[in-house]
Parts: sequence; C-alpha cells; structure tokens
Amino acid sequence: MSGKAGGLRTPLTRVRFLGSSLKGTSEAWTIHVTGLANVVLGLYFVWLILDLLHMDYNGVRATLGRPIPAILLLAFILSGIVHMEIGMRSIIVDYVDGHPRAWALIANTCFAAILALACVYATLRISFT
Amino acid sequence: MASTELARGRPRPRPLSPHLLIYKFTITMVMSIMHRITGFGLYVGVLLLAWFLIAASTDAVAFSWFTAFIDSIIGRLVLFGFTWALFNHMLGGIRHFLWDAGYALDAPAREQLTWATTIAALVLTVVTWAIGYAVR
Repeated sequence: MSGKAGGLRTPLTRVRFLGSSLKGTSEAWTIHVTGLANVVLGLYFVWLILDLLHMDYNGVRATLGRPIPAILLLAFILSGIVHMEIGMRSIIVDYVDGHPRAWALIANTCFAAILALACVYATLRISFT
Repeated sequence: MASTELARGRPRPRPLSPHLLIYKFTITMVMSIMHRITGFGLYVGVLLLAWFLIAASTDAVAFSWFTAFIDSIIGRLVLFGFTWALFNHMLGGIRHFLWDAGYALDAPAREQLTWATTIAALVLTVVTWAIGYAVR
C-alpha cells in the first residue's frame, strides 16, 4: 500500500507520489475480459467481412444495417478499442519516460476515443439512415 | 572498498542487468515480442476499419474509394498483414489465457503450444484468404 507510515517506502517516494496507482488489478482484469470477448467477436468480424466480399455498396449497407451484425460490430469496436487503449498504454510506459510519456498517454487516450466514436457513429448511421 | 570510493566522492557504477539480446532466442520469447508488435499493428490497422465504416455510412462514391484501395496490391498486402496480425494476436492471447490458467507451463509443452499457435495463425490467415478469393 502506498505511503503508509513505517512501510518499506522512503519518505521521498511518498512525496513524489511514486509507486502503485492501485489501478493495476482492474486494468489487468479489463484487458483479459475484453481480450476474451475479442476472440469471439473477432472471429465473427472475419466471418462478416468474408460475407460482405461479394456484395456491392447497397448489399454492404443492408447487411451492416441489420440488428445482429450492427450490435456485434458495435461490441467488437468497443471491446477492441478499450483493449488496444490499455495495450498501447503498457507499451508507452515500458518505452517512454518523463514528459513525452505524459503526452504519449494523452495522445493514446484521445486517439482511442476519437476512433471509437467515429466507428460507433458510422455504424449507427448505417443502421438509421 | 566502497567506503574509500564514497570518501573520494565518486560512486561506484551500479550493476546492470544483461540486455535482452544477450540471451539465446527461444520461440516463446520471439512470439512474446511478436504479440506486442502485432498488437501495435492492429492498433494502427483499426484506422482501416474506421475508414471502411465511415465510407460505407457516407455514400457509394466514398465507398468506391475504399474498395479501390483495398483492391490494389498495397491494399491487399495491408489487409493480408492485418488478417495475420489479428489471428496471431488472437491465438497468442489464447496461449496466454492457457498459461494464466496453469496449463502448458512445462519446458516442452510451452514451446509446443507456442509453435502450435504460431502455425495455426498462419494457417487461419491463408484459409481465410482462400475462402475470400473463393467466394468473391
């Protein structure tokens, strides 16, 4: 635990807020659950794309606009992007230090959020227009 | 010895752990690295999914730009790479789930499992593309 008096941490690391953020377990759990979901949803996604290959534009729209493909696609987008945001965060904290790390983490979160919103928006637009 | 160096005000260089590349390459090590690289590739590759969905939601002209790219040689290579990265990362993830559950941690089993998932990812990629060309 962080900052407990008489613990193994030095006063300096406590002052600098170094050490565990106490969020590791929840993050590890999330990347495992989304990873498991991505196996199932990813296989469905590959099957869906194979199904779309022989279709023209109107066929693709009609297929993606049906409820089950749309819902599973939305699930894949959300589960996949949450998974990749956490995965990229672990890459960044492994290889980037200092201020560049902070900017890389911010860029990662913003990229994932914009990408998720764009994909969800487009999927819903295909269904509802 | 340390006290004399401290007295001179010059700290002894700290011991360093050996770098990654000093070790012999093993299949589990290589595929662990590939898991991270394919994860990174998929991260960038999701841009392709976003382009596909946005183009499909816009109109036939926007969609034709996307299909023109995917039909090109570069587009096909990118999509083939994406397919392999997806299967390799997917099966690598399943391998990690098995290890997390305590299976296949012994020396021969962990290597065999890693070879199996690596080969299976290549086979699934080729099979998917064979189906793709067949139904098209």
